[in-house]
Amino acid sequence: MKVASLLDRRRAQWNELERLCGAMENRGRTDGSGPPEHRGARGIARFSSLYRSACADLALADAYQLPPATVAYLHQLVARAHNQLYRAKKFNPSSWVDVVFREAPQQIFADPCVRVATLIFFGLFSLSMYLGYNETMFPGFASAMVGSEQLDAVEEMYEEPLSGSLDHYVQMAGFYINHNTGIGLKCFAYGILILPCVFILAYNAISLGTIFGYMAREDVTGSDNFFHFVTAHGPFELTAIALSAAAGLRLGIGLFRTGGLTRSDSIRLSAQKAIPIMAASVVLFVLAAFTEGFLSPSPAPYLFKAGWAIMSSGMISFYFVVLGFPSQTRSVGYFSKQTIDWDSDTEGVPDPLATDPLATDPLATGPLATGPTKGVIDAT
Amino acid sequence: MSSSSPPATSNEPLDTTIAVVTPENIAFKYQLAGPFRRLPAYLIDVAVRWIVMILFIVVMMFTGSMVDIRFMSPFIVAAGFILNFVVSWFYGTLFETYFNGRTIGKWATGIRVIDVDGRPIDGKRALIRNLLRVADLAPMAAPSTFGADDVPPMLFIPTAMIGLTTILFTRRMQRLGDLAAGTMVIVDERGWQLPVAKVDDPRVPALASFIPGDYRISRSMARTLAIYTERRHFLTPARRREVAKHLTNPLLDRFEFRRDVDPDLLMYALYYQAFLAEPSAELPDMGPLAGYSPLAKDANKPTGFTPTNETTNIDPTTPSTTVAAEPQI
Repeated sequence: MKVASLLDRRRAQWNELERLCGAMENRGRTDGSGPPEHRGARGIARFSSLYRSACADLALADAYQLPPATVAYLHQLVARAHNQLYRAKKFNPSSWVDVVFREAPQQIFADPCVRVATLIFFGLFSLSMYLGYNETMFPGFASAMVGSEQLDAVEEMYEEPLSGSLDHYVQMAGFYINHNTGIGLKCFAYGILILPCVFILAYNAISLGTIFGYMAREDVTGSDNFFHFVTAHGPFELTAIALSAAAGLRLGIGLFRTGGLTRSDSIRLSAQKAIPIMAASVVLFVLAAFTEGFLSPSPAPYLFKAGWAIMSSGMISFYFVVLGFPSQTRSVGYFSKQTIDWDSDTEGVPDPLATDPLATDPLATGPLATGPTKGVIDAT
Repeated sequence: MSSSSPPATSNEPLDTTIAVVTPENIAFKYQLAGPFRRLPAYLIDVAVRWIVMILFIVVMMFTGSMVDIRFMSPFIVAAGFILNFVVSWFYGTLFETYFNGRTIGKWATGIRVIDVDGRPIDGKRALIRNLLRVADLAPMAAPSTFGADDVPPMLFIPTAMIGLTTILFTRRMQRLGDLAAGTMVIVDERGWQLPVAKVDDPRVPALASFIPGDYRISRSMARTLAIYTERRHFLTPARRREVAKHLTNPLLDRFEFRRDVDPDLLMYALYYQAFLAEPSAELPDMGPLAGYSPLAKDANKPTGFTPTNETTNIDPTTPSTTVAAEPQI
């Protein structure tokens, strides 16, 4: 069989496969308007058989001495069909609910990067707050850190009591979503380079802490208004900054601590771990933006704002600790195993059956559990 | 995941292609896109993002002048901020997820993002690689550091040194975002016509018929012939003969052909023999060439042509052999 006649024979099928690929690329499914064997389930069956024969053609291309251009063509054709056969899932909204409410808290609870970032952020924040507050012991710290112009600007900003109108609220919420979440995402992205992320985190911690400390002084004008403004959204926003930096650090650490994987596998794995943390951080940023846009500048009583802050802190703690507590160890198997271990340990009786792995294995104590195993459970 | 792609070995050709092994156990190749294709794509995307924002502002101003929307204005400002946020952070994610791994810039420059396993990318991967673009564009260069004092200090120019360096040092030309997401950018060639060189010169089958029947064209020879016929029309006739003669001179001795047979034509005849000729095919009408033989022992046989006349006739300055489709390089 010479190549030309072989190609002529195969070409019809390749053209058919191309047409099916084109239909699937354009409409995401097989050709509805084409010939009957291209429609619906038959079309899919036809497509996959054509794909497999194209794969076989590619495999045999060398043996058939096909010209290189034809081999290149077959590579493209197979790649194109492969992309249609092995499709990836697009965004799945329900899976993102799972990411935010199950994966993210578990990851946050387990990840040491979160602890490091939180420690850096809140440690530096409280330290600089104290240093900025204590003018007598550390004179000039505040103005050295953030500059006296900015301190004056902050003072001036909060001279008037808060009385924003609704017009003001809506645009400010939009502005904060754009601005603050953008900073958070930038912090996350720079996390892969570690140092810029730590810098942004520390810079924000120190400047925010210093301003907080400075505004907390007795002799500063507008300090009441300032705390009136920041109390409500503080918990959401500060946590979100720390979390986005933590997600970024997780990425960056993956680049260096590979844990036995290849570097690219390690960085990919750490990105998979970082994404839920970042998602949680974005949710917090958006919550903070709405609070900051609507509640913070409103003339609502301070008690209400403080109550909101306490409630949001409680929500965050619940989210981190209760949802994040490692769930595998709370399963029934864990407890039953614990009971059996505790039982045999405290009594100290050399139970001959304890050496039998079937007897101590909680998974083996099914409905058909034998007498001695049952006896152990009864004894508890 | 990466275990399905073959490991990098030292004897792999130094090339910008990457092989992907499918579950059917077929390895097909993708051509990777380097920085010179990706930079224009990125610039187009930046322009598109700017155009979207400018269009939004213009349309809103236009509607504002037509009807009184003062009541709506805070919502419009908020919508503008949120649109800016979405466009600047999630433009690439949304396009790559729902437009088969392409943004507008990538579509225009003919490149595409895929999974390192050769599959289209999903939303999560697109999200990771697009969020991390900021890090790849680092470090930022402020013009003021280079002594340009009259530009506003907020203007930063991304130098993209990080991404460029990583592209250069990874086998799949991945930037950091690609590494983290497990993706790569490939050239998405859309030339789908089948390039098989056709031979419609009657002399070629004629010459091929004189090739001895016991000569088997080896696989590497077949490959060489195919590459030669695909590339030959990029060469001048003199260059063609120069390239071909190294291969045909030993064959002329072996086939006992005359020394003045055109090397280019002999290459074509071999190509015809390897790829196109049917064993049972009839010889085409030779016209005035009938009775001509290239064999050395027939050199003194009287034919309608003298050897000099014959060489000028076969001289491929006016190539009578044509290639049906443009070969793809």
